Amino acid sequence: MTASTLPHADAALQARLAAIVGERRVLVRAGELRTYESDGLPGYHARPSIGVFPGTRDETIAVVRLLAELGMPFVPRGAGTGLSGGALAEGVVLLGLHRLTRIISIDAEDQRALVEPGVVNAALSRAAAPFGLHYAPDPSSQTACTIGGNVAENAGGPHCLKYGVTLNHVLALTALLPNGDVVTLGNADGECEGYDLLGAFIGSEGCFGVALDVTVRLARNPQAVRTLLADFSSLDAAAHAVSAIVAAGIVPAAMEMMDGPTIQAVEASIYAAGYPVDAAAILLIELDGAAAGIDADADRVAAFCREAGARGVRTASDPAERARLWQGRKKAFGAMGRISPHLVVQDAVVPRTKLPAMLAEIARVAAEYRVKVCNVFHAGDGNLHPNIGYDATSPDESARVHAAMAAIMQACVAAGGTITGEHGVGIDKLPYMDSLFSPATLGAMCALRDVFDPARRANPGKVVPMHSCREWHAAPSARS
Amino acid sequence: MARGTVGALVSVHAASEIATVLADRVRSARAAGTPLRIVGGGHWLDAGRPCRALETISLAEDAGIVEYEPGDLTLTARAGTTLADLARITRAEGQWLPLDPFGSATGTLGATVATGSAGPLASAFGTPRDQVLGCEIVTGTADVVRAGGRVVKNVAGYDLTRLNVGAWGTLGVLTEISVRLRALPEMDRTFAVEVSAADGWTWLRASEFTPMAAELMSPALGALLAVGDAAVLLVRLGGNEALVRGAVESLAALGPMREVPASMWEALAAAEPPGSAVVRLSTAPSRTAALWERASAIVERARGSAHATLTRGVVRCILPVSGDGDEEHARLRGMVGALQNLGTAIVERLPASLWPAIVAPAAVDPLSVRVRNAFDPDRILNPGILGEPA
Repeated sequence: MTASTLPHADAALQARLAAIVGERRVLVRAGELRTYESDGLPGYHARPSIGVFPGTRDETIAVVRLLAELGMPFVPRGAGTGLSGGALAEGVVLLGLHRLTRIISIDAEDQRALVEPGVVNAALSRAAAPFGLHYAPDPSSQTACTIGGNVAENAGGPHCLKYGVTLNHVLALTALLPNGDVVTLGNADGECEGYDLLGAFIGSEGCFGVALDVTVRLARNPQAVRTLLADFSSLDAAAHAVSAIVAAGIVPAAMEMMDGPTIQAVEASIYAAGYPVDAAAILLIELDGAAAGIDADADRVAAFCREAGARGVRTASDPAERARLWQGRKKAFGAMGRISPHLVVQDAVVPRTKLPAMLAEIARVAAEYRVKVCNVFHAGDGNLHPNIGYDATSPDESARVHAAMAAIMQACVAAGGTITGEHGVGIDKLPYMDSLFSPATLGAMCALRDVFDPARRANPGKVVPMHSCREWHAAPSARS
Repeated sequence: MARGTVGALVSVHAASEIATVLADRVRSARAAGTPLRIVGGGHWLDAGRPCRALETISLAEDAGIVEYEPGDLTLTARAGTTLADLARITRAEGQWLPLDPFGSATGTLGATVATGSAGPLASAFGTPRDQVLGCEIVTGTADVVRAGGRVVKNVAGYDLTRLNVGAWGTLGVLTEISVRLRALPEMDRTFAVEVSAADGWTWLRASEFTPMAAELMSPALGALLAVGDAAVLLVRLGGNEALVRGAVESLAALGPMREVPASMWEALAAAEPPGSAVVRLSTAPSRTAALWERASAIVERARGSAHATLTRGVVRCILPVSGDGDEEHARLRGMVGALQNLGTAIVERLPASLWPAIVAPAAVDPLSVRVRNAFDPDRILNPGILGEPA
């Protein structure tokens, strides 16, 4: 078919969707859909058959019920900043939720907010700021990513080291299941008894349905913050500083590492933060909490860095400098984009004591495959982010880059780690699921998915490899 | 090297072996239609839960550390490992698992996770849901599932770990659990402050200090623990010397205050008389003070006691039970009913004969029933323990 026409069936669908959301909110032309062909991970492209963008809760319910009636698969999408190809809709309906941007309420007394799924992460913190509150999970894409997307991916971010990930900040949500049923998961006003369906839903990558509203915890803004920048002449020394700080019982709000290539990329970009360009690694360490005692902890952190071999440790002197140091970290992916047309991004996690060895292994793999790795990651959690810039138009370079990534992933799994700490599996990490989980475990995951979406219509083909979804033992004697 | 120091505890059986043996046991039970009761330390057997089991699976012998690398601040242990053993082993490395469920410290990690039990430390560190990284489970379909992992961040695949935390073993038998540890704070001091629920909440909500625990105790409980005869807020402060000193100064403005030994927390955990009925009420934190006042009135009439985790909105009510006569049961029924009328109520313990009549079953919504059907289709594991009908 040509780009501007649709087969008859889709034209009928288009009309029915338009009757719900309005013609302007149903996209069918190739040019209009191009934006939705990929997420934040360049390298994967898939064109949806049709894009539908409801503006209200009721429209969302009506759209999903129509798709259920027609038995049509669909892919939910927030802002499309995901880094696993999870929001790619290959020839199926793309359900965009970024127009549901209402912050329904902020309860300053109980420190929580009720929001629609399309509310942007940073916008929620801005809205909470007058109350001295903020939303703690802070993925690097926080100026664009949505709370709904954060829930789907169980998103993290630098400050999750101290404050926990999305799972730890959602009290309840209203889920719209793929069959159109609306259910409440969790309890915003007390404890829950029974199965933790809220916990199961968070991080289900859009395969269990979509959130119509989410009740999140808000965190109090800390009374005091100290942001330290330590610079090292080796990655190994920086990694040892991380271990020493963690072992001493100090829990920084965040502890991020950037290696030399990343520092140089950032400093050559508009996000230049004043990092030392000749450093092999820097640690960006933030402490927060009560003013009493924070300087004692900051002094100890600085001492641990110096003992591990830091050439220098400086503390941001004012909020502007602190913001500049953080911007360099959060825009590091963008800065790398300046250097290479394409970028692969991984987020494997290793036990914290394995960091020095794993960084050495990554360097070895990079040399073996002749690729250039930039490391910028959540060191305090052991959550690596090796990024490889390359030119996808070169088949040879592409092959080497993907082989190097596979080698890094296998090494992380072998070290007792996992393949993704916060980006999700999507389609990007599907090939690694078999190396991490047994067939029985993957079968159990499929069984859980079938609880929420027995027709497997929501975000089909993601998270768990299809071949794993054998008949779960329960089936023959399962009660209805 | 930590592994050496805990070597004596390491189970003689390889992890997968025990799970494989258990899977065979579950498979036979399923074929024979013999429902199983899963037991750890046995501390929940007298809670009155209406479990319809014909045989018992005991995990008490399946204890020991599987992996503990202190630098990772994570630990993997067999489900039958007691919290007391975990505390001893981690303390030697300057670390702890900040989980302090009520009851005996000889309770097991497996039961703590299966029941989702938490104590005062949940105020700062959350409940088992927030601390468990992964687990090995033998499902009611006799599959050995290894959910999650051993690292502190992990979003690979659907979250089977959360699904099993607090499921009371009805989806699978927990055999091995990985948890996140914390370093012990430089200082750990506990203070008893005489303060009302409302003033306590106001301080906790606005203060720049975040205590590790802040538990309000009713006058009866305070008297039992010999900390006073008024309502007392037990506050546990952790951190460096300057931080704790600052917090102590701030707390002192609240009311009469004195330092008490840390053993006070163990005394609180073990405070309820054997055979008591226990009902946990919960609400939004800002409404806890009001809930506390109303619950206290009922509890006092019953000559019981209560304590509350103010930041979590949880009020735990302890009602003494004397005998099992009809009159006593009628009285108890009235008291529990009055508490249930105050809002979200979870019954922890109750005379077994009263359970079906006054406790609403859990996990009976359509989605939960589908979850149960997926993982325990023949109701082999702890059937009835959630109060669900046959």
